[in-house]
Amino acid sequence: MCGINGIVAYLSSSKAPEETELLVTRDAMRARGPDGFGAWWSMDRRCGLGHRRLSIIDLSDRASQPMTTEDGRFIVVFNGEIYNYPQLRAELETDGARFRTTSDTEALLHLYARHGADMVHRLRGMFAFAIWDEVRQGLFLARDPYGIKPLYTANDGWTFRFASQVKALLAGGHVSRDPEPAGVVGFHLFGSVPEPFTLYRDVRALPAGHTQWVDVAGPREPKPFANLAEVLAKGAAHPTSAAELPERVRAGMLNSVRAHLLADVEVGVFLSAGVDSGALLGLMRDAEQREIRAITLAFEEFRGTSEDEAPLAARVCEQYGAQHIVRHLGEQEFFDDLPAIFEAMDQPSIDGVNAWFVSKAAKEAGLKVAISGLGGDELLGGYPSSLDLPRWRRWFGPFAGVPGLGRLARKFIGAVAPGFSRTRPKALGLLEHAGSWPGAYLLRRALFLPQELPGLMDAEIAREGLRRLKPLRRLAASLTPDPRSDSARVCVLESAHYMRNQLLRDTDWAGMAHSLEIRVPLVDFTLLAALAPAIPALTPGEGKAALAKAPTSPLPNETVIRGKTGFGVPTGAWMNKVADEDLGPTAHTPENKGLISRRWSATVFSSATRANDQLEVRAS
Amino acid sequence: MKPSPAMLALVPDAFGGRGGIAQYTRDFLGALADAGAMSTITVLPRHAPDLAAPPETIEQTLARPGRIVYSVVALRTALFRPIDVVFCGHLFMAPLAALIARLKGAKLIVQTHGVEAWPRPSWLQRAALESADLVLCVSRHTRAAVLSWAAVAPERLLVVPNTVRDTFTPGNGSTTRNALAVGSKRVLLTVGRMDSGQRYKGQDRVIAAIPYIVGQGHDVEYLVAGEGDDRARLEALARDVGVRERVRFLGAPEFRVLNELYRAADLFVMPSTGEGFGIAFLEAMTSGTPALGLDVAGTRDALADGELGSLVSEAELPVAIARLLAKPKPDPVELAAATRARFGREMFAACVRNVLNRLMEVDGGVRNPLSSVQRPAQTVGRKSLAEKSQVL
Repeated sequence: MCGINGIVAYLSSSKAPEETELLVTRDAMRARGPDGFGAWWSMDRRCGLGHRRLSIIDLSDRASQPMTTEDGRFIVVFNGEIYNYPQLRAELETDGARFRTTSDTEALLHLYARHGADMVHRLRGMFAFAIWDEVRQGLFLARDPYGIKPLYTANDGWTFRFASQVKALLAGGHVSRDPEPAGVVGFHLFGSVPEPFTLYRDVRALPAGHTQWVDVAGPREPKPFANLAEVLAKGAAHPTSAAELPERVRAGMLNSVRAHLLADVEVGVFLSAGVDSGALLGLMRDAEQREIRAITLAFEEFRGTSEDEAPLAARVCEQYGAQHIVRHLGEQEFFDDLPAIFEAMDQPSIDGVNAWFVSKAAKEAGLKVAISGLGGDELLGGYPSSLDLPRWRRWFGPFAGVPGLGRLARKFIGAVAPGFSRTRPKALGLLEHAGSWPGAYLLRRALFLPQELPGLMDAEIAREGLRRLKPLRRLAASLTPDPRSDSARVCVLESAHYMRNQLLRDTDWAGMAHSLEIRVPLVDFTLLAALAPAIPALTPGEGKAALAKAPTSPLPNETVIRGKTGFGVPTGAWMNKVADEDLGPTAHTPENKGLISRRWSATVFSSATRANDQLEVRAS
Repeated sequence: MKPSPAMLALVPDAFGGRGGIAQYTRDFLGALADAGAMSTITVLPRHAPDLAAPPETIEQTLARPGRIVYSVVALRTALFRPIDVVFCGHLFMAPLAALIARLKGAKLIVQTHGVEAWPRPSWLQRAALESADLVLCVSRHTRAAVLSWAAVAPERLLVVPNTVRDTFTPGNGSTTRNALAVGSKRVLLTVGRMDSGQRYKGQDRVIAAIPYIVGQGHDVEYLVAGEGDDRARLEALARDVGVRERVRFLGAPEFRVLNELYRAADLFVMPSTGEGFGIAFLEAMTSGTPALGLDVAGTRDALADGELGSLVSEAELPVAIARLLAKPKPDPVELAAATRARFGREMFAACVRNVLNRLMEVDGGVRNPLSSVQRPAQTVGRKSLAEKSQVL
């Protein structure tokens, strides 16, 4: 994990980038890389690259970045980890490559020199990197298939810039803060800003699983190299029986966990009382990790109640011989940390508070790397959406064929029962949306529905934002090609939207704010390909049961029975208090009553707008 | 070997036209012809007030000022000719250009300039622009404005800045100074239209600043070159602020004297708020005269973020003029060379080649699945273009 940035003045008319801008942007990401920093300029000073380093693999100075090939042609800045680095290195050395370090970064240089843009197909890991080619005078950028690592770009028509964080790009002082209506609308629809949009018109995310080329003719449109739906569709073409599921899960998970332990520093684990993190701990032991420290977040409010995860987590630790660290959190600390949380939050998100505190606990324990169980629910059908979406599709699908029926019903009910319309907006949207996969998913995950947006912000911004975002078509596009089974469709929708835009992004900023690298073995493209043939036959609950049995010594039954709790924190009540203060008299209107996420979103969004008055779009 | 692609250019004016847009269109089409990338370039202008023949490699039809007649002629021309690329020289013509591109399965380039593209246009113009393969903008400001109302992948919006003719060169300008009998006065110059409907060029700001400048000890004369129906207001303003004898309205200068006029000035000042780019800045600086503009819109590009000329706020204008007049004039040859290095014909030709290369790439490149969300893919005739272009 690191922070990377760069500037390319690609148009001949533009002035050369200023060193100050490069360094200010780089150092705005200091927390991402406290162990070192570097900068590099091309011979003509039209391209500058910056790097902040968090040393995980090859801790020596020789592995510092930006890193250059021996002949000086290629220069790389890299954020992330390449988990199959040892295999790649062996292959490259067989092919004649000479390594000067033991860093995975150097492998990227050799791979690019040999395979060009096709190199990305050989990488297993989480990555966002940029390689400058002095001969072709161009910049190659790439981001991993799931979008675990962030990469944002800004192009004003003269100069191209990139960085690991939106706020860092803005800190450089040369990127417009004009609002992007699609980003504003996206946040209110989903509770996070859907990529490639950000809150700013001129800042875009390089989409997950894409590469981009920039040269004197400017940045090209990003090209996809990995597609979750395609992997699942291929898997569905060669389905396996349900009986094979446990062994596939066990082998795939162990392989992924083993790969994710590659490090020259200690690797810890976040441990709740749930299946995902417990199974990962067991698999870490199976992968022969000797000393393991597990971090559990616990709450004074829950002490002695069934909500307290610590006792069950302690049992799991004991079973696998891990050292257990329990960190207690109270309400006062939540309020004390809130300003810092909003400061670190790169883009507004209604989640991420829990990731902040567990990362803080890991840092206090002296960890630099921690394994997280994030992704298990998306991969193995652990969310209610696995049941709801197929059911809704069956129930409401016939109505979807009648044009305008859903909208008509919504307007009719809104006219005759306005109270119901305001307090049950999602129930009102069932006929309109639940008959299609994208519509049903929107309904399941929506913070607000499209028809509610004009009441929240300037009506023109709402209209323009929806036009640009095209939420339903965007959701539908992620299901291309068709993954060919209900469980695979839900897996893609949850992975490519909720997990990518919210969970993984929150994990990045919350972890990086504490200089902590969070690794997610359940979010692994190789693992997805391995499980893809089994996913069509997956029934709700079956996947998690298989995961619980994946370690040689299976998880205790209580863990499986208890079901999903994750790192639940009693933040609901705390968030309500903050929202009450922020919303004032409107806090208890029917629209706000009882809907913590909606109330909290107002607080989160206003924290973002306080930093930028050009985003004052919410109605007073 | 496949033939090179054929282009149809729908433009308000080009060869025989007046003003910055006509000049830009001539430059663009000329560079395109020089690159040899097109088998034919057929230009359909709405207006051509002056007699001027296009280069041999470009065919220009008769001007058709009427909208309906123009549209009929454009459609008829498209019907009977092979067309692979449609170039639309102005946003107002984008719907017609998009229709022809769709009918012919051709690629579409829409050119945007300045104020016409800053506010959100009609839905029809917006839809036409959003269907374009490439949108060209003369400046970063125009590009940002288009992005504010158009749902287009940002990578499809390219900036191709204005260029300046080689005929503008540095010199002492004494002939013109003598002819104008300005003696030892310090000469300020603005070249631009005086349009009562727009009033953005900023001649009034310069007139209002003259008392302050004189008060700072500068014996100045302000030359206002250009024509337009706002002249009477500006003359009245000069009288009102008591500087009528220091402001001279020259009318529209003939092109052959323009270079000399720039040379005669001590400072070219155009505090415009509405420049798409501001080609006059380039003409002044390649004539060796320092330039001053407001730090807004396309002026920033023409003055290269302050590296070629001076950028100030409106409030700072009087002080900035006085300060620049007090400084020795920069080396004219160096200033001209620096300007040409950024905006000369070679740079412009390179930009046009980049545009062509980018246009070819749209065929063969792997599309982001969401590109089809933002812009429905056109299929008819799309694959022929890359094959046809062997030149680049």
